[in-house]
Amino acid sequence: MDLLNFRKPQRYIGNEWNVTKKDHQGRISVALIYPNLYEVGMSNVGLRIIYGALNSYDNIVCERSFLPGEDMALAIKNGEFDLFSLETKTALKKFDCLAFNLSSELNYTNFLNILSYSGVSLIACQRETQIVLAGAISNPEPLSEFVDVFFIGEFEAVIDDFVSVLSRYSAKNERLKALSEIAGFYVPKFYAVDFDGKNYIVKKNYQKANLPIKRVYVKDLNTSFYPGHWVTPNTAITHDRAQVEISRGCPNRCTFCQAQAVYHPYRERSPQRVMELIKEIYAQTGYENFSFLSLSASDYSRIEELIDLALDFFRDKQIGLSLPSLRIGDIVGKLYTKLSSIKKTSLTLAVEAADDCLRQRLNKKIDIDTLFDAAHIVKALGVKNIKTYFMFGFPDEPSDNVLRIAEFIKKLGQETHLNINASINAFIPKPFSVWENVEMADLGYLNENKNQLLQLIPRSKKRVLGVANIEQSILEAVLARGDRALSKVLMIAHKKGDNNDGDWACFSWKLWQDSFSQAGIDYEKYLKVNTENFPWSFIEVR
Amino acid sequence: MQIIKYPITVKINKSGEMIYFSQLDMVRILERALRRSGLPFYTTKGFTPRVKISFSGGLKLGVEGDIEVTFYFDELITVDRLLDRLSSQLPIGLKLIPV
Repeated sequence: MDLLNFRKPQRYIGNEWNVTKKDHQGRISVALIYPNLYEVGMSNVGLRIIYGALNSYDNIVCERSFLPGEDMALAIKNGEFDLFSLETKTALKKFDCLAFNLSSELNYTNFLNILSYSGVSLIACQRETQIVLAGAISNPEPLSEFVDVFFIGEFEAVIDDFVSVLSRYSAKNERLKALSEIAGFYVPKFYAVDFDGKNYIVKKNYQKANLPIKRVYVKDLNTSFYPGHWVTPNTAITHDRAQVEISRGCPNRCTFCQAQAVYHPYRERSPQRVMELIKEIYAQTGYENFSFLSLSASDYSRIEELIDLALDFFRDKQIGLSLPSLRIGDIVGKLYTKLSSIKKTSLTLAVEAADDCLRQRLNKKIDIDTLFDAAHIVKALGVKNIKTYFMFGFPDEPSDNVLRIAEFIKKLGQETHLNINASINAFIPKPFSVWENVEMADLGYLNENKNQLLQLIPRSKKRVLGVANIEQSILEAVLARGDRALSKVLMIAHKKGDNNDGDWACFSWKLWQDSFSQAGIDYEKYLKVNTENFPWSFIEVR
Repeated sequence: MQIIKYPITVKINKSGEMIYFSQLDMVRILERALRRSGLPFYTTKGFTPRVKISFSGGLKLGVEGDIEVTFYFDELITVDRLLDRLSSQLPIGLKLIPV
């Protein structure tokens, strides 16, 4: 295989700074796979945490793999070679365990594509020795036919148990039995699911397996593993910066938000520990940009102290800092003078709704008036871009909702004179969110609103508008809310074509409509709420 | 204010796996290596400060060979010190050669 025949050969080299290469002989091999392109997957922090943590065990060799580009996928389908790991170019089918991050529903078909590019059987019970593990997923049911074992929660918390099970047992079924007894692990084949028209009833058929499945999380971020040996790509990736997690979870309960539930509870890493990590990662990588990772940096109780600690270091070394969504009041009141002395790249505002009343119903606390009152301060901060998020399609939203969003975006641009990057998405009632039991707006309504938005906000040099593809959002919602019956649909869709559904240019709604009808499934039923419980009700996240 | 910067020019040999990395990638790789080396690198003084590195010519993707690179520092350092500190921070396939 000559990598020069493929676009962006850099994706497949695996010689990043701080990469771990080990001899496979005598070790248990785990391939850690993000089912999207290298640039996307390498921007995921969870993948890095698990990569570092698994490789810290001498008897484990953990290597990475990603979705190959279309051209390489074609070569694989022509039978030239099988998909391989980056570090040692070992075929994925030779690994003891394939571990996938399935945080995005639109990557589910990529996950199946990768199994097929690897020459691995898609159906869990047809694989004799290899274990397919999947994590970062909220509702595993649609994939229950393909995945041997799911893990619900934060993997750092159980990694010792996981490694010891793989070390102690070598037969697949022994391993699965042992894992199913550990909190957070879910082996679908050990459970039977019945649906009586109103309720999903889950029963064990292996008595020692857990039920309900309880999400597992790290208790203390100051002692939990975080990768100082940050793998530093030699080529550009989507989020090309070192990300230091300052907190996990979110103390707010915005009604539409899934993350606040599936990353519960809210935990902070101390400013001192964050600073240690910044210094270590900088020394190991030389990264010129850092960002503080958090669902809600505004709520980080010691943000002023952290910025005081970090400021001199960032200034001396001329390191850029991306600001996560900070509370406008904090920036204006306390942080403005400090932040203006360091290099910054962007400012994020998750506004969600332009209407005050709707924002209150969403339980979204953001101080819009302060923002406009202090537009000159925001301007003087030296950021080039403001990134802002909105949603539409909420239950009982005001009829002029999108008009208000358009007005808000225009006003923001006029008052700050900054580049505005607005991302506008359709509301999806995700599992475990406060509004999991709310019906999703239909395709027609959402498309009508989308078209209205596009007309109201003409694109300009200073304004980038990203509005979700509604059909993609509908598919995302169905896969997020689905039950075991969807495995059949996923299989049909996979056979119809190996499109990367996350990429709107590859996504085909027609393909999915055909797949649903071929499977005899009305997808719309998953968007309505006609049942007493949900396919995911056997999982307890908090 | 007068800005003083001290340039040092060396050759870098690109071979092996590094031939798959473009000229743009090289800027990234060298800047990060320089930052890791602890050497007193010079940064541009504009609105968005950047480490200053300049190249004379480049190599096509997939081609082995030498490129001439100039690094800039805030203080006078010797070529030997540059070679000593920077070489260990470069990926396999990139080699510094004094000119």
